[in-house]
Amino acid sequence: MKEGTETRELLALDGHGAIVRGTYHKTYNSCADSPSNLIERDRVGVVFLNGLAATRASNGDVTVYWADSFAERGYPSFRLDLPGFGDSEGDPPPEWLNFINAGGYASIAAAKIKELVARFNLSGVVIVGHCSGTVAAIHAAANRECLGLVLMDPSFHLSRSQTTRPKVRQKLNDWALQSRFGGFLSRIFDFLKQIRLLLRANALPENANFSLLRQWKEVASTGMPILILKAPRWRSPGTKPRVGEFDYLKHVLGLAGRKGRVVVKVMEGANHSFANRLGRVAVRQHTECWLNDNFPSLKREEGAVSTSLLERNGNKTHNQFHEDCTTNICHGV
Amino acid sequence: MQIQSSTKTELPELAGYFTVPGAHLYTVLHQAADPVARVLLVGAFASERHFSYHAWVRWARFLAARRIEVLRYDYRGIGESTGIFGEMSFEEWSEDVKLLANWIASRSPNVPLILHGIELGAILAGKSFHEGMGDALLLWSPPANANHALRATIMRWAGLEQIFESPENQKSASEYIRQLEQGSSIEVQGYEWSSRLWRDSFHVDLPANLRDESSSREAYKKPVKTVRFGKDSGSLAMPYVRYEDPKDLSALYSDNCDWITGALALPNGRTQ
Repeated sequence: MKEGTETRELLALDGHGAIVRGTYHKTYNSCADSPSNLIERDRVGVVFLNGLAATRASNGDVTVYWADSFAERGYPSFRLDLPGFGDSEGDPPPEWLNFINAGGYASIAAAKIKELVARFNLSGVVIVGHCSGTVAAIHAAANRECLGLVLMDPSFHLSRSQTTRPKVRQKLNDWALQSRFGGFLSRIFDFLKQIRLLLRANALPENANFSLLRQWKEVASTGMPILILKAPRWRSPGTKPRVGEFDYLKHVLGLAGRKGRVVVKVMEGANHSFANRLGRVAVRQHTECWLNDNFPSLKREEGAVSTSLLERNGNKTHNQFHEDCTTNICHGV
Repeated sequence: MQIQSSTKTELPELAGYFTVPGAHLYTVLHQAADPVARVLLVGAFASERHFSYHAWVRWARFLAARRIEVLRYDYRGIGESTGIFGEMSFEEWSEDVKLLANWIASRSPNVPLILHGIELGAILAGKSFHEGMGDALLLWSPPANANHALRATIMRWAGLEQIFESPENQKSASEYIRQLEQGSSIEVQGYEWSSRLWRDSFHVDLPANLRDESSSREAYKKPVKTVRFGKDSGSLAMPYVRYEDPKDLSALYSDNCDWITGALALPNGRTQ
């Protein structure tokens, strides 16, 4: 047994009274499989925080794929299991969804990011969060170690676990999805919700996560680069919400203000987990473009073309990737 | 193997990589001081790993707290292990079990080794046991063959798990199966299942003697226990629901730990 492979190393961050386990994806030497020793100082790292996902690998091991890819592009990448999840110690807190919604994991995430920055001589990190993991990411972004944010399908309202959703409501949803008549009724329901929204003059809904929105405003209005990746949802094409739903994206872009540097991309064909083929590749491409625009890595500056890991795995080479970047394959806001 | 040792707990968990041909298996050794037995946990397959992880880690901790050392791992090409999922086969995943069983057994040959598998892992553990490895076998929700496990995963995927899928991406389980049988690959929760995987799965069986407990005890002369969580014996229901809703499985853990202790006549090993 050994502590690492040529590209990965296991981590146990034991400061601040909690052991958090994770995986470090090393940056690569551009023309060999051996790990690079020359780019271990003053680099921008990428830290993935798991949200509702049970493990730091995420659905379909998609986070492993992204971390491998970003490391190969010159960004040391770290995947962490927050306390109570995956291999880290402890149990999730009682009422853990409320705990997450309130940014309960932010302080431990910030503390662990400080540890990573010190241990790996990083100039700072970009925090990547998915779904409820975006809540911890936004709250943790107030710390100076955080240089940027990537938020995948962020939720600015207080989400409920599917298991706490009334069963009748769930069954109605399933029925509406599967039956033509159910779909028709569902559209009427959406229309009624739209009327209610208009009557409320587009005021924030009662279940908005107000503390998160305050934190967002504080962070985004400083001009921190932020990339929001959105998966299309049922009856919610592009960046627009479903009829009758509050437009949180528009709202948060407004909160970011003039100094805001928020980019929104819609990942066509992606599902919510972004683990399907289209989703995982789109996230990789758009995030790499964005990282390069905002935090150019040494390897990128040198124009290095690696043919190692990604190519062996049947993925696009960096030359192909560069074409994708320049032809702007994404829908941006 | 001295890797990530926890300093805050009494029972350090060591994470590391175990080298197998062409890949590195991610392993976590739940150490026990002066262990009375060792267990190799052979987990659920691919996307099921994600949903079972919480329950699986806590089961490992439960045993380690009772002086039963546990090794758990990720299959080649899955989770934290390296390798490309689509290039792996049941032969390689069977080999993983054998290599790790040999490794953990070699740590102290005088301590009994229990193989414990869940779902597809139950077949892999059962096959190794059939070949003579281990002193006892514990099976949770063993399918009759690997195809049953794959089917059960597709059923779950085509049902509840597609809530977030856009309508154009939604397909029925029978449509997915038809695609596989026609030679196409499908994506299940981010894993690309090839038609080869599907075809091979029909030939990866739970050894016949393990289909019921009485015949297995007779055939192997070693303790064997099978636990099923559904209403009928063919069910592939799991003890966990989803990662969003951690269940209290302490009664299950306690019953199974008692069985291990009793079947192997172990001293009561509770340390905490």
